Amino acid sequence: MKDFIGLRAIRGAGYTLLLLLEALGYINHAWKRRRALFTQMHVIGTQSLAITCFFMLLVGMVFALQTGIEFARFGQTSLVGLVIVSAMVRELGPWMTAFVLIARVGSSMAAEIGTMKTSEEIDALEVMSINPVSFVVMPRLLGYAIMGPILTIFGTLVGVAGGALVSKVQLGVPLDDFLRMAERGAEPLDIYWGLLKSLVFSLCAGAVACANGMRTTGGAVGVGRASRNTVVVALTLTVFLNYLLTSFYRMVKRLVAGIL
Amino acid sequence: MALNVQTEKSSPAALVDTTPMVEFAGVSKTLAGRRILDRLTFNVKKGETFVIIGYSGTGKSVTLRNLIGLMRPDEGSIRVAGEEITTMSNKELEVMRRKFGVLFQSGALIAWLDLFQNVELPLLEHTKMSRRKRTEIVQQKLELVNLWQDKDKFPAEISGGMKKRAGLARAIALDPELVLYDEPSSGLDPVIAYEIDKLINRLRDQLKMTQIVVTHDMESAYTIASRIGMFYQGGMLQIGTPDEIRASDIAEVQHFITGGREGAVSRRSTTAIMKGRSPTFSARLEAGMDEAEAETTGEATPAIMELEPEPSPPEPENKP
Repeated sequence: MKDFIGLRAIRGAGYTLLLLLEALGYINHAWKRRRALFTQMHVIGTQSLAITCFFMLLVGMVFALQTGIEFARFGQTSLVGLVIVSAMVRELGPWMTAFVLIARVGSSMAAEIGTMKTSEEIDALEVMSINPVSFVVMPRLLGYAIMGPILTIFGTLVGVAGGALVSKVQLGVPLDDFLRMAERGAEPLDIYWGLLKSLVFSLCAGAVACANGMRTTGGAVGVGRASRNTVVVALTLTVFLNYLLTSFYRMVKRLVAGIL
Repeated sequence: MALNVQTEKSSPAALVDTTPMVEFAGVSKTLAGRRILDRLTFNVKKGETFVIIGYSGTGKSVTLRNLIGLMRPDEGSIRVAGEEITTMSNKELEVMRRKFGVLFQSGALIAWLDLFQNVELPLLEHTKMSRRKRTEIVQQKLELVNLWQDKDKFPAEISGGMKKRAGLARAIALDPELVLYDEPSSGLDPVIAYEIDKLINRLRDQLKMTQIVVTHDMESAYTIASRIGMFYQGGMLQIGTPDEIRASDIAEVQHFITGGREGAVSRRSTTAIMKGRSPTFSARLEAGMDEAEAETTGEATPAIMELEPEPSPPEPENKP
């Protein structure tokens, strides 16, 4: 029974959810742990900024190029700005940033906590009556949740800039045209929705990473497994949630439009 | 050298209070189908240093983990200072644990804090001391373990022995009533191991701390122990003063304390001690190395050969 894989997955999911809730319950310790929190925000946010921007720049450029080629067949290349902005703000910005963060931060977070677990550091904290969830998990999770949306803002802006660059240089769309269409690409509500998505992804990925770290057993192999599981589970979960959230948003928008 | 210390420390035994600090009564724990603790029963008196010896991988550390509340036993009762801890809620355990100091095998220092911050951590978390008072205490504890000059180093930058000493400084930062040690001398050279032993003795003599030490280093056990308990097949095979243990007529005890040179327990049954485990490669390697060693020393071999019957199946458990 205990080897039944579905049961293990359910147990893992339950643990992750409980850990997330417990860590959120310790949010009042954030001031006391501000040093750890700032360290984490630096590691998760500042240090990921360059790679996120580089990534998003190229995503924006490729996206503009591909859509531009198709639009050119119908003589509508100026629409590129609209497509880029709406896709960046609603989908690509939040999810691609989450993707970069999972690969860069999630895996290392799981490995770090996993190593703490196997080297008895987590036990030592517990023995010193220092709650590991408050001491280790909460600052990481909160740092992740703060920096995820901030990086999304940067990433989205850079992505749109990349799109604009390609539009101008390779597709021959004047910047004015691009920006005029871009304005129609996203309403304020879309921007907030994108950031909310990013927050959800960050909390999910952070919780998965911390939970995998905290459940690590079995030395170096276990640490490797925790890190790998984190990337696989977090990516799957965010891409799935992304679909659900997008469907939900579309439904709500239609409902609202119907009422008005 | 060990003998000297032995005579030195027989005097504080008179000071030992008779109220038990720790009471294990009929504690059992099964892990992964193996009965690790089997109705384990023993008492540790206030102010004494109780050393638990026993073969590797037989559950000495599990005993400690049950005592700290990191594991809960399947049955039996564990009392610390008269309070039952097996049924405590996590909140109660947190309060209880402030009486404990634990030195883990690897020191278990927090990697992103330097030594000063590591020792300061329990003070920061559990007291409202001023910064000056904290610094004073950290300095006192780090000087005790002779690490004050290294206070700015991070755990990754120091040796295993230093990590252990720093771990000890952290364990006693809050002046606990009970200090637990998991293999304090493993992985250390004899000189540093002896330094740690001396520290343990100082804590007992000067600060009157009750201490439980899990080890398989006999040299160290004789140096620090008020009493020694031999852990064997889930229970205490014999409990006694170092001299009583040294003079033990129980074969398994002799086998263990002489490092396998004496006592009727054959190598085979050493493997059998780890019941439920197939002999691992390292165990076989160890056995092979011991034979080679016995050949070179010459005299130990006949003793074992005489006492050891034909290669027999793992011996039945002979518990008193």
